[in-house]
Amino acid sequence: MATYAFVLLAVLAVASALAMVLNKNTVNSALFLVLNLMSVAGLYLLLHAQFLAIIQILVYAGAIMVLFLFVIMLLNVDEEESLFDKFRAIYLVAFLLGVVVFGQIVYSLGGVTDLLPEISADMAYVGTVEAVGEVLYTTYLMPFEMTAILLTAAVVGALMIAQYKVKTSDQEE
Amino acid sequence: MIGIDWYLALSAVLFIIGVIGVLIRRNAIVILMCVELMLNSVNISLIAFASHHGDITGQVLVFFVLAVAAAEAVIGLAIILAIFRNNLSIDITKVNLLRW
Amino acid sequence: MVEHTLHSISLFYPEIIIVVTLCVIIIADLVVKKKNHTAGWILMGGFGLAGITVLLQAGRNESVFYDMVAVDPFALFFKVLLLLSGIFIVFFSVNSDELKAYKSRIGEYYMLLAGMMLGMLLMVGSTNLLLMYLAFEVTSISSYVLVGFIKKSLRSSESSMKYIIYGAVSSGVMLYGISLLIGITGATDIYGINAALLAGVDQPLILNISILMIIVGLGFKITVVPFHFWAPDVYEGAPMTIAAILAVASKIAAFGMLIRFFSVSFINAEGISAAGVWQIFDALHWDLLLGAMAAMAMIVGNLTALMQDNIKRMLAYSSIAHAGYLLMGVVILTEQGISSILIYLFIYLFMNLGAFYVAMLFSNKVNTESIEAYKGLGHRAPLEGVAMTIFLVSLTGLPPTGGFIAKLYIFGAAISAGWIWLVAIAGITTVISLFYYIRVVRNMYFFEPETGAKRLHFTFGSKIILLLMLIPTLLLGVYFTPLLEFAQSSIKILGLN
Repeated sequence: MATYAFVLLAVLAVASALAMVLNKNTVNSALFLVLNLMSVAGLYLLLHAQFLAIIQILVYAGAIMVLFLFVIMLLNVDEEESLFDKFRAIYLVAFLLGVVVFGQIVYSLGGVTDLLPEISADMAYVGTVEAVGEVLYTTYLMPFEMTAILLTAAVVGALMIAQYKVKTSDQEE
Repeated sequence: MIGIDWYLALSAVLFIIGVIGVLIRRNAIVILMCVELMLNSVNISLIAFASHHGDITGQVLVFFVLAVAAAEAVIGLAIILAIFRNNLSIDITKVNLLRW
Repeated sequence: MVEHTLHSISLFYPEIIIVVTLCVIIIADLVVKKKNHTAGWILMGGFGLAGITVLLQAGRNESVFYDMVAVDPFALFFKVLLLLSGIFIVFFSVNSDELKAYKSRIGEYYMLLAGMMLGMLLMVGSTNLLLMYLAFEVTSISSYVLVGFIKKSLRSSESSMKYIIYGAVSSGVMLYGISLLIGITGATDIYGINAALLAGVDQPLILNISILMIIVGLGFKITVVPFHFWAPDVYEGAPMTIAAILAVASKIAAFGMLIRFFSVSFINAEGISAAGVWQIFDALHWDLLLGAMAAMAMIVGNLTALMQDNIKRMLAYSSIAHAGYLLMGVVILTEQGISSILIYLFIYLFMNLGAFYVAMLFSNKVNTESIEAYKGLGHRAPLEGVAMTIFLVSLTGLPPTGGFIAKLYIFGAAISAGWIWLVAIAGITTVISLFYYIRVVRNMYFFEPETGAKRLHFTFGSKIILLLMLIPTLLLGVYFTPLLEFAQSSIKILGLN
């Protein structure tokens, strides 16, 4: 059962990722990315990361992708971008680079052939909110506080950059 | 039962698709989406390793990656907005006032 | 548990002070109606206070927050450097004409500067891969925004976009490497990784890939070839103050992180030694790889700098070349190598900030960044001209300036470790670098100013700041024993002896 689910979700994830990259229309690309994120959330469930699967849908597919779509709509940039009309050297470079790196990674992963452990009593506990929260607020307290600063800086920075009318002193005069 | 190598291979595939997307696409918004795809593939491998070791650490790391991905997306989109207002184009090949 | 956290907090005052300063700046920005450099002075106070608390930590050598952050002499040295450069940058910002037009937003500017400083302070202290990544990202995200601060200019937003795309991709690659490394070693802190490596890892290839990927991310931050493409564009588009902080402070922080990561996770059981560092994990010749990167950075940086006309682009390529010289010390990674990096960074701080500062003063007055337009400026601004000459001579590495001492030690360390070919390349490229540095000096002095051009007048305060950088640059060239002792006492990285 888990095998079929994995194959289905993995094929869906790869196909939607490819569709995202190769699609001419920006809105379609964004929607394919949402599909990709959803299927990855399904994979998290298979790996017993229940809480993260929910977070993935809420934060990624829910918040971040809505932001992307919002900006796309705001800028109205859905004009067709010709992707493959003329051959560019960068395609070849990208393709070769991709093949080389992928080959390396897959070859090296050949060593990691262990099966995932069967669900034991403590494994079932691992992905829950309690388990994640406990570690997050003890061992990882310091990085957690750091994220607060990260998000503050990001919010202030985004507001500053996206502000529409900038008052400069030469305009005031 | 599917082995951890399959999850890692999937993560590698998605990562490479993200990298190729960054290289070939010219639309800055799509490039940012490809970066999100890359970070997302990292999350798969982190969770697979966490489940392999029976250890919560990998899952906690995913939280931080999520936060960073959100922050990066927000800043990136804000910069795109600023450029669009100045230039009315987000095609990164057209944005080349600065030489190499 | 609570005791541990409280104890950790007592060793964490510098970072806490920066966070408090950051919050105070946000509130002050709301309360204070008259938009001036109020936030800048608050930030300066915060940096100063943090600097004092850092100095009070002298001699401490322990790990806080559950082995997340190390408080050791090595981190102390870097924190002193970072805060010092932070204080200089605030001085620069107060004197910058570029930023004057944006008075209404200057509060955010200083707030992001504080965020960037916090990220850099944690970069040099963190001993955990996760915190390293987070600190790295805090630094990056603040600097993406700061680079695009001058929003009216398309150049600035565009360089900011180039920066975020390169930065996001390279940090994504680094994160993938980190995830693989964590996965196969099963540890997130560098001591655990070291233990796992000592015990032997059964997938050497995946380990190689993961460390190569981490080098990509760090190489981006220290702008070493082949990850340097962003630097000239970003420096040119960014405000001068931000170009200076990117060239100096964020490079210093990245070197701190790089040295700590490599020297702790790669030491063998006996501790650090000349050949032992890279032996634990010799599937790939790491020292050769880093040496090749250093050589590439020196060659590409110096040769491309010859062709630049914009002073910021010239300094960008020169900072790529300096990253190459600094990386020579990482290649060796002996005690001698690390202490020579520390000496180099200390001197680099003063001389490079100084060069950026004079370039900023000139662009304030004559509104140009072109080296061609520097003709005759030496006659119109005597003190600044002389100072620029000294900074550039120091960047070249000629006596009697500090740059000579810096190069002397790092070349000496490389020679004694047997890296003759690398030193030969470094020596040749140093000679090449003389041409483009001297070109600026020639333009300033060997041309008469245009008729009718008046003398440039700078405020007294800006001259004091100039002297604060000029005097150390000169003094360190002749009297460097204290710096030597400071550097040698600062190579104690937590976990190494």
